[in-house]
Amino acid sequence: MKRVERVALSAIALLLVASMILSACAPAPAPAPAQQPAAAAATKAPEAAKPAAPSDKPVTLSLWGGFPEMEPFYKHVAEAYTKEHPNVKIEILTHPLREFEQKLSATIPSDTAADIIEISMYANQKFIEADLIPELPANVKAFMEEKGRYSDFLQSNNTYKGKKYGLPLFVGRTALFWNKDMFKEAGLSAPPKTQQEMADFAKKLAKADAAGTLTRAGHSLRLSGQGSGVAEKWWFILWPLGGTIVKDAGNGKYCAGYNNDAGKQALKFYVDAVHVDKYDSHALKHDAEAFELGLAAMLLRESWVIGDIAKKAPNLNYDTAPVPSAAQWGRITNPVNLYVTRAAKNPEVAWDFAQFMMKPEHMNWLLENVGWLPARGDIDLSAVLAKIPQFKAFVMSDPNYKEFGYPVIAPFDEIMTKLAERLVTAYLDKSLANNPDGIAKTIEAAANETNEILKKAGLYAECK
Amino acid sequence: MANHRLSRERLLRTDTLLRSLQHLILALGAVIMVLPFIWMLSTSLKPSTEILSWPPQFIPKTITLDNYVTVFKTAPFHLFFLNSVLMASVSTASILVTSTLAGFVFGKYNFPGRGFLFIVILATAMVPFETYMIPLYIQMKNLRLVNTFPALVAPYLIMSYGIFFMRQNVIASVPDELLDAGRIDGASEWRIYAQIVVPLLKGAIGALGIFAFMQTWAAFIWPLIITSSRQLWTMELGLGMFQYRFTVDLGPINAGSVLSVLPVLIVFVLLRRNIVKGIALTGMKG
Amino acid sequence: MTATSLSRTGSLGERLATIVARLFHINRKLPILLIYLYLRVGPILTNFVYSFYNSSVANPRANFAGLDNYIALFGDRLFIISLRNTTLFAISLTVFSVSIALLLAVLLSGKFRLGGAYEAIYFLPVITPMVAVAVVWKWIYDPTYGLLNFFLSWFGIKPVAWLVYPDTAFWAIVWKLIGYNMLIFLVGIRDIPETYFEAAKIDGAGSGQIFRFITLPLLRPILVFVTVISTINAYNVFTQIFVMTSGPQGAPGNAVRTLVFDIYENAFRYFKTGYAASEAVMLFLIVLALTLVQFGVTRQRDANG
Repeated sequence: MKRVERVALSAIALLLVASMILSACAPAPAPAPAQQPAAAAATKAPEAAKPAAPSDKPVTLSLWGGFPEMEPFYKHVAEAYTKEHPNVKIEILTHPLREFEQKLSATIPSDTAADIIEISMYANQKFIEADLIPELPANVKAFMEEKGRYSDFLQSNNTYKGKKYGLPLFVGRTALFWNKDMFKEAGLSAPPKTQQEMADFAKKLAKADAAGTLTRAGHSLRLSGQGSGVAEKWWFILWPLGGTIVKDAGNGKYCAGYNNDAGKQALKFYVDAVHVDKYDSHALKHDAEAFELGLAAMLLRESWVIGDIAKKAPNLNYDTAPVPSAAQWGRITNPVNLYVTRAAKNPEVAWDFAQFMMKPEHMNWLLENVGWLPARGDIDLSAVLAKIPQFKAFVMSDPNYKEFGYPVIAPFDEIMTKLAERLVTAYLDKSLANNPDGIAKTIEAAANETNEILKKAGLYAECK
Repeated sequence: MANHRLSRERLLRTDTLLRSLQHLILALGAVIMVLPFIWMLSTSLKPSTEILSWPPQFIPKTITLDNYVTVFKTAPFHLFFLNSVLMASVSTASILVTSTLAGFVFGKYNFPGRGFLFIVILATAMVPFETYMIPLYIQMKNLRLVNTFPALVAPYLIMSYGIFFMRQNVIASVPDELLDAGRIDGASEWRIYAQIVVPLLKGAIGALGIFAFMQTWAAFIWPLIITSSRQLWTMELGLGMFQYRFTVDLGPINAGSVLSVLPVLIVFVLLRRNIVKGIALTGMKG
Repeated sequence: MTATSLSRTGSLGERLATIVARLFHINRKLPILLIYLYLRVGPILTNFVYSFYNSSVANPRANFAGLDNYIALFGDRLFIISLRNTTLFAISLTVFSVSIALLLAVLLSGKFRLGGAYEAIYFLPVITPMVAVAVVWKWIYDPTYGLLNFFLSWFGIKPVAWLVYPDTAFWAIVWKLIGYNMLIFLVGIRDIPETYFEAAKIDGAGSGQIFRFITLPLLRPILVFVTVISTINAYNVFTQIFVMTSGPQGAPGNAVRTLVFDIYENAFRYFKTGYAASEAVMLFLIVLALTLVQFGVTRQRDANG
């Protein structure tokens, strides 16, 4: 019996050993970042204030991102950086976004994340609030606060409790894509300037077949989909009308900012598009794909679509225009930042590399080859703009053209996701067509939920 | 008698009708089952201009391997493939050993707490992996195994359902008399297990084997969080590379899907008879 | 090991050896149990502990909250929705995947030439990795270029926005599960002695009668087994829904919000670790209760039969 037991035990042991050996046979994995006491790491980062003077010791840096299309950019700058610093090896890993969040929630609290992570402030907020992300070291902070380098909006967006976190790399900013050929065909010569015009044009641009099935959307709106995207796109319409998702009530408290006429109008805009004026339909392909395939005449989207069009529909005759205005004029700006984590063994080198990325020539490369807009505001982009004029509407600035964005409060993602679910249901609901009461009720119920979430987080205060 | 003959004639007629209906339903069902695969294969062989065209074409006008080239150019897919094969093989071997052993013990031994333990095992089969993934990750981190092969394969070394399945099989197809005979002959319990139980479970082992292989092959979230270098990525993770944040590259992702289905398909074809036999042997008497 | 070395020294050792022998089965199970404890029970229990804390990302055991999470659960609209959805989902998934599989198995049970090929074809989706399944089904459901709308256009049906509706994911999952259930039924039917059918035929029973009075009663234990497994699986469906509904053109959340989905979102998106853990405990209890009931049913039936 003793033997049996031993055999069974050794079988298990053998199995484990076998798996170890097999793992050794597999191409050598990168060593797991060594853990360091959190306290030491926390104090280390601000201390790295001394000018970064990377020594010659071999250093391996890892960078994780949530945008796979950014990978060529990272490779490009990593190559340039290693040329200057041959002792540094840089490993880049990008993930499809939704799964990336899961990875971060496992790795950041346990200090096993990459040295540098690329993420937006709002997605990173929960980690920052939990004190899991070190603030910017003094030299990087100075770099960031240099006058004119980053807009006030970006500065305040990356500030939490008076401390600066994250270096803005690129921004997601919206503009109106419009198909020139389709506009011409419909007898329109210029893109819409106001929201009313945008709807009127869309009606003219929509096309249906003999059976009445829409074959081309006048304006491809985000009608469905998972996550907060639906709510964000609704915000594009809501904000110019004078509403917003959550309104600052002072003292760091908020309330739902759309339980008002602007909110009702914004929902009506969508309901009308689908059920009254019928210039968009659930039964059509949507988003950038639809625009590229000539299934939509207009689309509100970020600048990456330009790169995507160049790749997938190089012959598309289109241009971009600023987001049409209503009571006010503005577009959303979503900054994506670089953070150095507590897991970083060489935070100075990591920050040095992050700052290296921000060099004007690399930012130009980013715009031209990837299509995301550099976050830095003090860079001459004219060469790329001359080559690809469609970027102009994205980088244009006008004192009246405002920027708005995600407030840095932890429950905002939950607010957006839950609002999105209600919006999707509302867009499908035919009974809301020409039904102001129904729209008002939908908006009120959604706003109540938003306020509920704020209350639970201790962030609610009545507005006005 | 006469009555019988009469009804038999009627039955024969309805039988022919039923038979053609039977074939119709079966064929239709088979088409529904196979169509997505053909569509996947067809899409993977089309140039991008042809993928998004109306009406859809089943047979590509121009056949191209570009999408497959893209797959291999984008990332070291041969490496991902190897990782997947390795991971699935180790996991399958381990699940088979642990499940047959545990199944044997649960099926043939009486010991205090057997019922309770068995319920616990069955119950853990019902807890979704996602809910205990983070604690497991922390354990792996404490063992300093993050981003290593052992950690990658760890959650797949045992399978609650496999233990349940093997217990059913042991009860159904291993007669007590045979075990007793072995014991009288002086065989050790280990030998009984190896020389009597395992051979009797051959079919079931084949059946469980393919499930284990398939389950590990399809793993996605765990490999994603436990690896921090592409060297350890699996096929399923690699496929994610064509699902960008906003758009999907239909050609390459379908090519990648074909590549990820293929190995499982081959294993299945090789083991198909075993699977059928395995399920047949269980008896499934509860 | 100590036992044997002791056994050489005398009767005490021998007695010890006997005890070890009695405990042998447990001992042999020990390594497996240890692995099991480490890889499954441990993390699950940790998760259960979290459910009593008002936890944050940084520290899962920040504030002891007692039963607060559980009390909050029942006032949560989304939890109630998920609970209802999951139950509805589990019931319909089980009903459809079991009944269609049974029908196919009955049709396939006779002897004919293409039987093996059919078996293989119907089993194909079972073994296909979910990411591939999701990719191809989303592509088939595509509103503008999708195959499904193309087929429907032959009958003059206007394009349908399949991906907007949650049923989309449901049918793709049914498609994936049928083969497994079918194969088990098939084997069960083939196990029924041929003489039963022959006798029934001689007595003039029609196909319907044979199914009702012979196949179905004899297949009952298998039917129970398949239903158990299907229900358990249905409660666990997550990846399928997650992958099927992802992307900007995917389905809305609430309509397909199953319990695991809600747990996932609370844990990973909103970082309510403790709250998500309490949901997981509820799920566990529900499924455990279901299993016990089903076990009871089978045992009773065994006792009766």
